[in-house]
Amino acid sequence: MQLKYFLLLAAALFCIGIYGLITSRNAVRVLMSIELLLNAVNLNLMAFSNFLDSTLIKGQVFTVFVITVAAAEAAVGLAIVLAIYRNRDTVDMEQFNLLKW
Amino acid sequence: MIQFLIGTVWLVPCYAFIGGLLAIPWSPGVIKKTGSRPAGYVNLFMTFLSLLHSVFAFIFIWNQPPQEIFIPWLSTAGLNLTISLEISAVSVGAMVVITGLNFLAQIFAVGYMEMDWGWGRFYSLLGLFEAGLSALTLCNDLFFSYVILEILTLGTYLLVGLWFSQPLVVTGARDAFLTKRIGDLFLLMGVLGLWTLSGTWDYTELAAWASNAEVNPTVITLVGLALVAGPMGKCAQFPLHLWLDEAMEGPIPSTILRNSVVVASGAWVLIKLQPVLSLSPVVSWFIVAIGVVTAVGASLIAIAQVDVKRCLSYSVSAYMGLVFIAVGTQQDETALLLVLAHALASALLVMSTGGIVWNSITQDVTQLGGLWTRRPISGLAFIVGTLGLIAFPPLGGFWALVKLADGLWENYPWLVGIILIVNTLTAISLTREFGLIFGGQAKPMSERSPEVHWPMIMPMVILFGVVLHLPLVLQSLSILPSWATLNKDLVLLLIWSSIFGCSISAVIYLGNIPKPIRLPWQPLQDLLAYDFYTPKIYRMTIIFSVDQLSKFADMIDRFIVDGIVNFVGLFSLLGGEGLKYSTTGQTQFYNFTVLLGVSIFCVWITWPFWKVQFLSLMF
Repeated sequence: MQLKYFLLLAAALFCIGIYGLITSRNAVRVLMSIELLLNAVNLNLMAFSNFLDSTLIKGQVFTVFVITVAAAEAAVGLAIVLAIYRNRDTVDMEQFNLLKW
Repeated sequence: MIQFLIGTVWLVPCYAFIGGLLAIPWSPGVIKKTGSRPAGYVNLFMTFLSLLHSVFAFIFIWNQPPQEIFIPWLSTAGLNLTISLEISAVSVGAMVVITGLNFLAQIFAVGYMEMDWGWGRFYSLLGLFEAGLSALTLCNDLFFSYVILEILTLGTYLLVGLWFSQPLVVTGARDAFLTKRIGDLFLLMGVLGLWTLSGTWDYTELAAWASNAEVNPTVITLVGLALVAGPMGKCAQFPLHLWLDEAMEGPIPSTILRNSVVVASGAWVLIKLQPVLSLSPVVSWFIVAIGVVTAVGASLIAIAQVDVKRCLSYSVSAYMGLVFIAVGTQQDETALLLVLAHALASALLVMSTGGIVWNSITQDVTQLGGLWTRRPISGLAFIVGTLGLIAFPPLGGFWALVKLADGLWENYPWLVGIILIVNTLTAISLTREFGLIFGGQAKPMSERSPEVHWPMIMPMVILFGVVLHLPLVLQSLSILPSWATLNKDLVLLLIWSSIFGCSISAVIYLGNIPKPIRLPWQPLQDLLAYDFYTPKIYRMTIIFSVDQLSKFADMIDRFIVDGIVNFVGLFSLLGGEGLKYSTTGQTQFYNFTVLLGVSIFCVWITWPFWKVQFLSLMF
């Protein structure tokens, strides 16, 4: 019964992350929203592993991997943001529409 | 020998055609060094050959039964096109007339075309005409008659357009071609329609079929009308008559041929088709009505012309109208006699006036005058031509008209009145022309007008003699109507109408009445002088509607048909141009579209599950 609540919470967190992802003008905040998405996923994985696979807890293993990859990804993401910032002196997402039509 | 001459009479058109081909090398572009006169001589030789051949064949075939020759042309599934030739006294006799007139016209052209470089083209076309006309008289098959008529239409276009650097020649040739084409195309419809009814195109078999045919009266009426439309255009009948007026822009020697025999080609087909046409009384009445309207209208117009050649061309239309009346009242023999008498007399008239035009330059009769004392032979030729055309005993036109009137008197007395009127009007118009050209005082244009040289006088005099001897020839062949059975009152009436017309016109134009003559009501004079404003009528009706229709069709093609196709292209172009803005360059927008796509896909996949709840929520 509690699994549902975990999943709902994770979904809510995911949606918040999505909202932040597509509305933020600050590139760092976009990365933060991505972190929110990943953490919502992690919550899901943990909940499933706890309620459906409590013996082998493969979900927890997944979660560890996700956290690791997320850390690397955030690092690379910040590096990209810094690289853009160096060239364009801004982290405003709306200034980055150079590769249009 | 006799049988050989008769059996090979189909060579006559071939001689003429070969003559036409032989003339081509003397076109200025091919033989550049020696001038083009040999073209004429070669053609004259070939024409003389065909004249000799047809004359001898005519002598031998007279009083002999007609022979038929069949030459297979094409045989496909269910259709055997066989050229059937009829060698009869009538067809060979017609060939004698054609080749004889062509021979004389070609001699005339030797003189007339002296200052011209275009002998190669001119004589080759004359050869083509002679070949076509001779083949038409021999041909006993409606389909091949049509083929020949079309070739002759093309020939007319080229011959009228001989001097194509003159703008009026170009328009005249155009009108001659198109007007005759329209008639020919109707004729083609009739020819094709007749095949489905009778299953044959052979004139003999058609006559046999028509003698006891059971056909839907509406169908045979329509087919008959289409069959009449071809000769209507060919014979320059109302309302397809303007081309003959404009064809007078061509050289005079070809006019001799056209006025006498080419217009008769339509009459020939009409006469041959008479058994089929008389199947429907409506068609017969139509032929008579067309003939009456043309005969009266054209003879009125002829009186009001100032151009020598046009005066005569309208008389040609009028006489062809009389031929139509004869055919419409089932008098084939009369029609043939009329065509013969008209051909000779009309050719003589054109030769005479052609000689006048040759060294008086102007064709305007109001600028000519006083030529009688200086041009007696031309004047006599004109008189004899006039008398040979109108009902003046004992010349040919008299017998033809008497026979026609006699045949009409029983059943259509009012048509006799028409013939009297036409005869009077023609007498008036020809005497007027004589009075204006040969009578009165010499005008500046005709003050020094010597008689023409021998190549133009000789054929004129020969034809003069032929016209004078025509009654004797007809009598010796015993094809004159017998004097005993004729209605003497009609004969007197016809003679009186001629005398009346000639004398009234002579009083006006040879007397001291001031010229130019004005009718009391000027619009009527203009109406006749401008040919009932036929060019305007054409331009306002047919030409206008075809022009508008073609412009409309062009617009449809340009804007709607092309437009639809172009719109497809434009639509894809605009689609590309418009939809490229979906690539906004905003990463977040891409994210959003990915999300949107995924969500829609998920909703779609899980729709069976959602549907129940969604529907229960709604209802």
